Amino acid sequence: MNVPIKTNTALSENRRLSDQMYITLLVASVAIGLFLIASVFVPNFFQLQNMLNLVTNNWAVISLGVGVTFLLVSGNFDLSVGGIVALSGVLSVWFAQSIGSSNALSSGLGLPYWVALLGALAGAIAIGGLNALFVVKFRIPSIIVTLGTMMVARGIAQVITQGSQRNTNLPDEFGVLGSLKVFGTSMQLPVVFMGLLLLAAIFIERKMVFGRITYWVGANPVAARLSGIDNAKHITYLYLFSAAIAGVVGILLSSEYQSGYSNRGLLMEFDALVIALLGGIAIAGGFGSVIGMFFGAIILAVVTSAATGLTLSPDWQYILKALAVFLAIVAQTWALARRNK
Amino acid sequence: MTTQQQPPVLSIEGIIKDYPGVRAVNDVSFSVESSTVHCLIGENGAGKSTLIKMITGALLPSQGNMKINGAPYAPTSTQNARENGVATLFQELHVVDELSVLENLTLGMEQSRFGFLIKSDLEERVIQTLASIEPSINPAARVSSLSVAQKQIIEIARAASSGASVIIMDEPTASLSEREVERLFTVIRKLRSQGVTVIYISHKLDEIIALGDTVTVLRDGKHIVTKPLSEVSGRPELIDMMIGRCVFESYTPRNNLSEEVILSAKGLSNNMLKNVSFEIKKGEIVGFYGLVGAGKTEIARALFGADEVAGSIVFKGEKVGGSPKEAIAAGIALVPEERRTQGLFTNLTIRENIPVMNLRRMSNNGIFRADAELSAATHYIDQLRIATSSIEKHTEKLSGGNQQKVVLAKCLFSKASLLLLDEPTRGVDVGAKTEIYDIIRNLADEGNSVAVFSSELEEVLGICDRIFLLYTGSLESEIINGPDVDINDILNIVTGGNRGVTA
Repeated sequence: MNVPIKTNTALSENRRLSDQMYITLLVASVAIGLFLIASVFVPNFFQLQNMLNLVTNNWAVISLGVGVTFLLVSGNFDLSVGGIVALSGVLSVWFAQSIGSSNALSSGLGLPYWVALLGALAGAIAIGGLNALFVVKFRIPSIIVTLGTMMVARGIAQVITQGSQRNTNLPDEFGVLGSLKVFGTSMQLPVVFMGLLLLAAIFIERKMVFGRITYWVGANPVAARLSGIDNAKHITYLYLFSAAIAGVVGILLSSEYQSGYSNRGLLMEFDALVIALLGGIAIAGGFGSVIGMFFGAIILAVVTSAATGLTLSPDWQYILKALAVFLAIVAQTWALARRNK
Repeated sequence: MTTQQQPPVLSIEGIIKDYPGVRAVNDVSFSVESSTVHCLIGENGAGKSTLIKMITGALLPSQGNMKINGAPYAPTSTQNARENGVATLFQELHVVDELSVLENLTLGMEQSRFGFLIKSDLEERVIQTLASIEPSINPAARVSSLSVAQKQIIEIARAASSGASVIIMDEPTASLSEREVERLFTVIRKLRSQGVTVIYISHKLDEIIALGDTVTVLRDGKHIVTKPLSEVSGRPELIDMMIGRCVFESYTPRNNLSEEVILSAKGLSNNMLKNVSFEIKKGEIVGFYGLVGAGKTEIARALFGADEVAGSIVFKGEKVGGSPKEAIAAGIALVPEERRTQGLFTNLTIRENIPVMNLRRMSNNGIFRADAELSAATHYIDQLRIATSSIEKHTEKLSGGNQQKVVLAKCLFSKASLLLLDEPTRGVDVGAKTEIYDIIRNLADEGNSVAVFSSELEEVLGICDRIFLLYTGSLESEIINGPDVDINDILNIVTGGNRGVTA
């Protein structure tokens, strides 16, 4: 607490760890515990570089997880982020490719590089707008809406790339963003993007009215409306933000690979959902935190990379993810029920 | 009717139900004769629903016995009560819209072997029962295509065909039109002629007089009288028995009343309200009194902009009623009818609940002021005497009275100058009730206006300066509170006595 507590109230002295903090700590200790266990069994696991890799290799999913977490806390799903990653990547390439090649896949719109990026971002945000429109205006369950827009986004990407990929006739600067080393270190720009995004998200969630409104809307939308909160506007913002994040992720990935590929980000929406659930975010809304989601991502990364290190075939990774999710959710439900008995 | 050969179908002997701080039902004894329509009346809070819940097994009595046909009867669940021949028709309908009439009638009684449904004579029996009650309903029809009244008849038929000898009906006509009520009465009379006993609960006294054989009156949890309706002279006698000489919380006229109109509503109409117009003055406490379904909640929600309504609402010279957000910004706050589902964020703490209605006061350029939140929470816990061990307690774990105080704190924090309180003391214990009344009076003394929407006469007579009487969506009358208020007249108006519908 950075707030001076008035001395005359026994009420505040009696403050205990909130449920939120309790679950976050639980998730964090599971992540660390799993890492230590894996270090015992997997050769070369306990190394600084490996720890860093667990985070940096997952920058894309963790970034998407930020938007997905806010939406889950508000009581809504966003399954469209994987599709948006593909769409914005493909759009950025198509917009930037120069005009006039005989090969259809090599010929783009020839826009200036920065216009291409803004255009790609706009395309991503448009999908977010579509999500908001159907969820807020037409009151269709978000899980159905975003399942639909996921396919819309990927479908458009597929049409533009003719089911393949576009990687020729790109301006020289196209590959810079995705592989730019920052501060002369080996830290790449996308990882920095994730870090800043996490910090901003934690600040918004903990310190800003916007974050608090997200909890109110998710905890009880009826009471929120009767308390003067514009639920529709808030959820619209959340969908636009989530789509914008996915748009940036798509642009960075296409820059890193210097290609627009319609299958990029496949199943990323599910990974983002899985790490949020692992991180203790309640699917019913009103509960969860970005920090929890981050540690959820670490749990998933440790489990999958340890399995690979143990020479378990990568084919097993879905089974492992499934086990991790079930165990984590059962454990959290049990822990909270026990605590609040 | 002689009781020598035949014991009463249901007898209640010295039933007591205690809640913390309240004796809701106090030593009630009476018996219900077979094949009669036995009416149960009393004001809100008289103990009717608590008594009914004990008869249907939803609550266990603290003391006392019940007998069915002379045999001891102590239901432990509604299922158990049904096995003993006691079925209940609740205010909310319990039919499955997606199934056919026949499937609904046999629901829960299906015969099965190894999990597969098997044919039995059940269907025949059910179809016959339905035909004898209401031949116009086709057993193959989908329930979703039926009217509310028809759905109700399906429920009655289900109860009757399950072999119930006593059917309890709690306000069955609340959502029926006049013609449908007539049809329901025909069904009830038919049931009676078939040997079924109906316990009928209603606020509408004309219905009681038209339909009942016997009436039992409860007041303040006590049994007042059980007598044949043939010996009752009419509405006034029933009203007298319901209110008795019970002492209302004394209203003391407040002297700093201003004449300044703060809110004026003109011609409010929607599917419930019929051209309702009124004014609320600065610093006054107005009451809106009427029975369930009279339109109280609808008026509160309309003023707050929560529901769409035709007509105009002007508050402090500005038009409001567009949205709750707009209302709050203008200085109106609502304590909704259902605090758990509409008022509170039950999975959040007291501290997190309080600031929601006034974000401007709670933030600085979008940054949340945790210190302001903390001091607001401690302040209101002190001021409203919210009993809790910590401001970090989840509101779902508070008692009803303390939950209501948290909702009030939310509204107070919004610095509203007009508070709309919808059933402010429903499900609140006596001690907290008095405290809430004090809070309301203090607010008004400070120059705020308060509108209390209540179905408890004692409440509006105890605290309101002016009372609007409502009946089925229209504003029937306005009275100034004072020592010489005619309670019989009020009850007459809100039960429809003004409409020339007499027995």
